[in-house]
Amino acid sequence: MRVEFQQELDALEAGFQEAGEIVVRSIRGVIDALRTQDVELCDEVIAFDDEVDDRYHALEKQIELVLARQTPVAGDLRLVLALLHSGLHVERMGDQCVTIAKLTKLSSHLDTRQTVVEGLVDMGERCAEMVKVSLTAFANRDIDQARGLHGLDDLVDRANRQVFKEVLGYVNDAEALEWGMRQITVARCFERIGDNAVDIGEQTAFLVTGEFAEFTDASH
Amino acid sequence: MTQMEAPRIDSSRIAEVSRGLDRSEVERREKVFTVSGLGVSYHGKPALEGVTLDVHKNTVTAFIGPSGCGKSTFIRCFNRMNDLIPGAKVSGTVLYHGEDLYSRDVDAVEIRRLIGMVFQKPNPFPKSIYDNVAFGPRVLGMQGSLEDRVEQALRRAALWDEVKDRLKDGALGLSGGQQQRLCIARALAVEPDVILMDEPASALDPISTTRIEDLMHELKRDYTIVIVTHNMQQAARVADMTAFFSVVVDEDGSGRRGILVEYDATTKIFTTPSDKRTEDYVTGRFG
Repeated sequence: MRVEFQQELDALEAGFQEAGEIVVRSIRGVIDALRTQDVELCDEVIAFDDEVDDRYHALEKQIELVLARQTPVAGDLRLVLALLHSGLHVERMGDQCVTIAKLTKLSSHLDTRQTVVEGLVDMGERCAEMVKVSLTAFANRDIDQARGLHGLDDLVDRANRQVFKEVLGYVNDAEALEWGMRQITVARCFERIGDNAVDIGEQTAFLVTGEFAEFTDASH
Repeated sequence: MTQMEAPRIDSSRIAEVSRGLDRSEVERREKVFTVSGLGVSYHGKPALEGVTLDVHKNTVTAFIGPSGCGKSTFIRCFNRMNDLIPGAKVSGTVLYHGEDLYSRDVDAVEIRRLIGMVFQKPNPFPKSIYDNVAFGPRVLGMQGSLEDRVEQALRRAALWDEVKDRLKDGALGLSGGQQQRLCIARALAVEPDVILMDEPASALDPISTTRIEDLMHELKRDYTIVIVTHNMQQAARVADMTAFFSVVVDEDGSGRRGILVEYDATTKIFTTPSDKRTEDYVTGRFG
């Protein structure tokens, strides 16, 4: 029944997963660029974001057509809505990677501080893991796995605070402080990627249960 | 008005138009029909079994389901139209404002005045537009100005402006959509309480369909509307409550009959239905 429609839904979901996998590669790229302070790699990550954007725009266009032509309801409608939201979250993660790459370039002429770099690399790896978990949970409609993202995000938030605290110690060293200030923004970008992964987890829960609820209250 | 001041809009009205009433709002309204364990058989063969549901005042209730699920059979129980079909037998109870609709004391003709019906194919009499609407009030000897009554009914059916200058013209000269609104006007002229509509727009073009759907939104302020539709999006657009009927086939394949699978707020049926069979039907995975 509705064979073509089902194929269209499958294609939408495959497009979303592909965009997600590409963003994981971007995150891996910025982690390597941070570790090695590789300016060329930063440029590659920046250029690579077009891949994410192209897939997001294609997904958005396809969703518009499916809504117009197939008028999905019930579980199908939730899938299409969840894909639209989650696709946007993935696109934003790509933008965060671009910002990290630009900041890394901007501060590449300054001396790095190993403690902070290690902290950022740790955050980046946790984020890449979170994005993979969010994509798998979505694909498997696994609410428990999606809820687990909240716990992983706490670790990213904690690392973000540690980076901030470390940079505060540079207050008497102007050059270190300039570098450190840029790294606080890098940490903030990773922190947002973690939040976006949690957002995708929330979309998974909506897809399965039909009710949208944030896993955490942002006011806490 | 300062820049940040929101314009005054009746948000509850917008919400009702865009999402229909929610279940608790519907259930707070007076019960017009209370159906319990209803079954219908034709010549001993069950067509519909075990239907229990309530229909509430000033709401639109839609019946959806695949062919043969008994939804048209069911809607005909509400004004005893099945009495007219040889071999039809109705079991269970249908209370209308608390009174047994199938009691011997009930006058089926009076019931059909209170509970009007509009059919799939517009069926105006081969008479003038005026006489079509005036027919019921004349037969029933209703008091008051007949002209006023006809005008009022045509206005309520959103047809007055199109026909006011040619009331003496034949009704069969109207377009299909106009004929259907004339049939609605004819039903309204005898001051009904409920309007039953069996696929009222399935023979109409999209513009005429939209007008009938707009009309349902208007009419539910004063009447209770029950509609059978094959068009699921139509149910989603107009109904506050939706009942999904399905067909069960006997294991030996000897018989098939309709059952009520799920009855809930339309928003629930089309977003998060409780029963997998409903989900399969509304998403087009079945039928």
